[in-house]
Amino acid sequence: MRSRLAPYLFVSPAMVLLVTFGIVPILVAAVISTTNMNISAFASWDNVDFVGADNYVALFADADFWQALGNTGLFAIVGVPAIVLVSLFVAILLNRSQSRFFRALRAFYFIPAITAIVAISLIWGYLYNTQFGLLNYGLSLVGIEQVQWLSDPWLSKFSVALVAVWRGTGLNIIIFLAALQSVPKEYLEAAALDGAGEARTTFSVTIPLLRFAIFFVAVTTTIAWLQFFDEPFVLTDGGPLGATTSVSIFLYKEGFRLNQFGYASAGSIVLFVIIAVITLIQLRLRRADDEY
Amino acid sequence: MKRAATTGLAALTAVGVALALGACSSPTETEADGPLTVWVMGDSGANFEALVADSGIDVEVVAVPWDAIDEKLTTAVASGSGPDILQIGLSKLATFAEAGALLPLDDVIGDYPNLDPANFPAGVSGAATAVGGEIVSVPWTSDTRVLFTRTDILAENGIDAPPATWDELREAAKTLAARGDGQYGYYIPQWDAPLPIEMTWSMGGEVVDADGNVDFDTPEFQDAVDLYTGLYADGSVPTNGDFDQTQGFVSGVAPMLVSGPYLGRGIADSAPELDGKWQASPLPAGDGGSISLFAGSNLGVWFNTDQKTTALELLDYVSAPEQQLAWYDLTGELPTASAALEDSELNSDPNVKVYTDQLATAKVLPIVAGWDGIVGTELLNALNAIVLTGADRDASLEAFYAKIDGLAVK
Amino acid sequence: MSTELLRHRRAGTRSGARRMTVAIGAVLAVGALITAFPFLWMLTTSLKPQRESIDFPPTVVPQDPTFEWYVRLFTELDFGTYLRNTVIVVAIGFLGLLFMAMAGYAFAKFDFRGRRGMFFIVLATMMIPIQVTMIPTYLILNGLKLTNTLVGIALPTLVGGFSIFLFRQFMSTIPTEMLEAARLDGAGEFRIFWQIVLPMSRPILAVQVVLTFIAGWNSFLWPLIIASDQKLYTLSVGLSLLNQQLAVNPSLQMAAASVMVVPILLVFVVFQRYVMQGFALSGLK
Repeated sequence: MRSRLAPYLFVSPAMVLLVTFGIVPILVAAVISTTNMNISAFASWDNVDFVGADNYVALFADADFWQALGNTGLFAIVGVPAIVLVSLFVAILLNRSQSRFFRALRAFYFIPAITAIVAISLIWGYLYNTQFGLLNYGLSLVGIEQVQWLSDPWLSKFSVALVAVWRGTGLNIIIFLAALQSVPKEYLEAAALDGAGEARTTFSVTIPLLRFAIFFVAVTTTIAWLQFFDEPFVLTDGGPLGATTSVSIFLYKEGFRLNQFGYASAGSIVLFVIIAVITLIQLRLRRADDEY
Repeated sequence: MKRAATTGLAALTAVGVALALGACSSPTETEADGPLTVWVMGDSGANFEALVADSGIDVEVVAVPWDAIDEKLTTAVASGSGPDILQIGLSKLATFAEAGALLPLDDVIGDYPNLDPANFPAGVSGAATAVGGEIVSVPWTSDTRVLFTRTDILAENGIDAPPATWDELREAAKTLAARGDGQYGYYIPQWDAPLPIEMTWSMGGEVVDADGNVDFDTPEFQDAVDLYTGLYADGSVPTNGDFDQTQGFVSGVAPMLVSGPYLGRGIADSAPELDGKWQASPLPAGDGGSISLFAGSNLGVWFNTDQKTTALELLDYVSAPEQQLAWYDLTGELPTASAALEDSELNSDPNVKVYTDQLATAKVLPIVAGWDGIVGTELLNALNAIVLTGADRDASLEAFYAKIDGLAVK
Repeated sequence: MSTELLRHRRAGTRSGARRMTVAIGAVLAVGALITAFPFLWMLTTSLKPQRESIDFPPTVVPQDPTFEWYVRLFTELDFGTYLRNTVIVVAIGFLGLLFMAMAGYAFAKFDFRGRRGMFFIVLATMMIPIQVTMIPTYLILNGLKLTNTLVGIALPTLVGGFSIFLFRQFMSTIPTEMLEAARLDGAGEFRIFWQIVLPMSRPILAVQVVLTFIAGWNSFLWPLIIASDQKLYTLSVGLSLLNQQLAVNPSLQMAAASVMVVPILLVFVVFQRYVMQGFALSGLK
């Protein structure tokens, strides 16, 4: 006697929260994006005027916005495959054995993921420091000149992305490990009996069975990297000269440093649309759920 | 579609209602009870609590991290609910005053002897920090920029005294940078927007014209840009953005710095073995003299506080010269009350005397909303583009003038 | 293949396999050290006296270790209060975990009107950049009179699309026959959820427990904005309070950062056994 109401009851607490704190704010932001609202609005509503699509036009004429878009795209194209590949690789290696030693190693790989971003900014800031950082000191011991990790326009992108990849693999390794453990043993034994070597088994049997986990990690990582904020914000504040400014940082600065709420809201709608489109494309590329 | 529209309308109404409710509460005639909430910047409210312990006023102090002041103030303004008193950096004063966050104090300031504008240096009190003609804050702490030098390293390289003019500084920096690879003479922080302005002032120029419009297109600013870019061209300064000032000074990599009293404290705390090997001296002078920045924080009253009288009493209390000096003892932040600045015990430390002397001629940055975000950021972008990426000087500066066109002091 | 040959081949493969395992273990160990190095550096720096931590060239092993910074955190700098608040925020987060599991179950195992639309909303919320929705969200909380409360701090991030998605994916592998059987036996829906679905989801639950713990533990943005009372700040906010305009005490900052990281690590070490172990989808084969 399945109650018709049951699914709705199960779903409602989470949905109410998501709508209240997710959907409503973005709708409000959408409305604000058609105005020229800035901080003087809080003094008097008269200071707010409806400007239609002006913010969007200005946005696409803004060179800084294009730079931010370019940076975000670059980060996503480099970062997402890096994370998926590294996480998968490490998970497969870690899955080799269930011994205590291997289990202990997992904790080490998970550490970056659990460290608060505030702490990460401190640690990596000190490590990357050009004059006094540990990395350059190490390089100097082998005769390599100081590297401007966070000040060179191109190198800074790499340095920031490296910290983000370092941080992002931990969780995904755990997800892949969980998925690997659910691969039925029979398939592996069958492959071994057929004479397949380790590598061959992994490539032809295990990985295809991990399809949905790989897909899941790819999609969620892409969404996260399109909203890339934490690492560039704390390490370089979007610098030098906007080299590591992602769209999210651009929005944050417009909204909170320059108090241009209308403009920032327009930017956030654009970003939201971009993310939605890319995610839909990814979902389309993968039709059905694999329920093995 | 229709549902989305009604949702949107409902949401906007909700926002509007929230804002209206926030804005509607006007200061009531009767004072509310309970502790006075005060927001101070920094890592702990303990110092402020100690300061007001004997004031007879019940105070609750909230510490706000420096990096987060923007979000905290913006959301507080948005919702209308904030503290009773808050510390505001001078650079943010105009922004928040224009958002209506601060209570105008003109009509009550006369009732409190310690808040009389005449008690404070002209550069920072009364009209100098009024916004739209209204006084919305009282001076609290002061900060300035002076020259710090490693006298021992300078002496080793034949320089007997800290440079007194910018030309001397440039020469000295060249000599010191020649010490070797990875050694510099000076350091220009890439985030220090006031520095080129201090240079302009000391060349005898202004950044605001007679009508109150922001104007950088002046010969004195060009001289300042020459100096700024010249230091890079000489190879006297590091080019990376993450150079650590304190470590640079302590290790001798950058033996000359323009910075504030917090650097002096930092060096004294972390490298006591350098005592006697460094000193503070007046900011190098140009043709217009040695004119530095008057920075610091004021204290303001939140626009819809329900404890206006108590708040003003507290402001009066902490503005008294004794309390100002007590604050210095607790935190090392300089006072603003002129009587406190002239205190002989305060000035017995020769470095502190340099700070207080500098404050006498120091100027505040123009009180323009969004100064930091617009002028500060674009000025740095233009200059850094020239010195770090080799952008064309005139084109960069022209773009900068265009971006700040139209700004004016209200 | 004859049994003899098979056994020989198996034995050979076994020792070859063991060598391979050792080799892999070594590679992983090196990788682990590199990955964890910043963390180790953080721990060692937290034990250095102030002068040594700004020394150049930098030292890796503290020459003169001291615990004074840890003591200072708890005696002078209110870190005990921040710790307590953080624990409470995390606890509230576990309620959100329950909500998300329920929602994930509904999406996975029920066919109901509006399911696609609602799941789309779930996905959509993952794509919303938070920087600009901060202000409307704050206004909503203000309207609900939840500012300056620990509930208000926990609420905006209580549920997240990512976790609901994860629950749904894993729960969809639970065989429907088991659920139908229970229903035929007369069990109520929530009982089925509690006594069948959740135990079978132990691995994913363990993952989520760790995730919820991390999110709550490291929460920075909301406590900062919503708490007008410093007594409600969490550990992350406390750590950033130590960022003076010129950072001159790296040791103290590292001590605070260490206080933040070590408990989570312990939680993970405890839970990882449950994550991996007992992955018994017993009805599946």
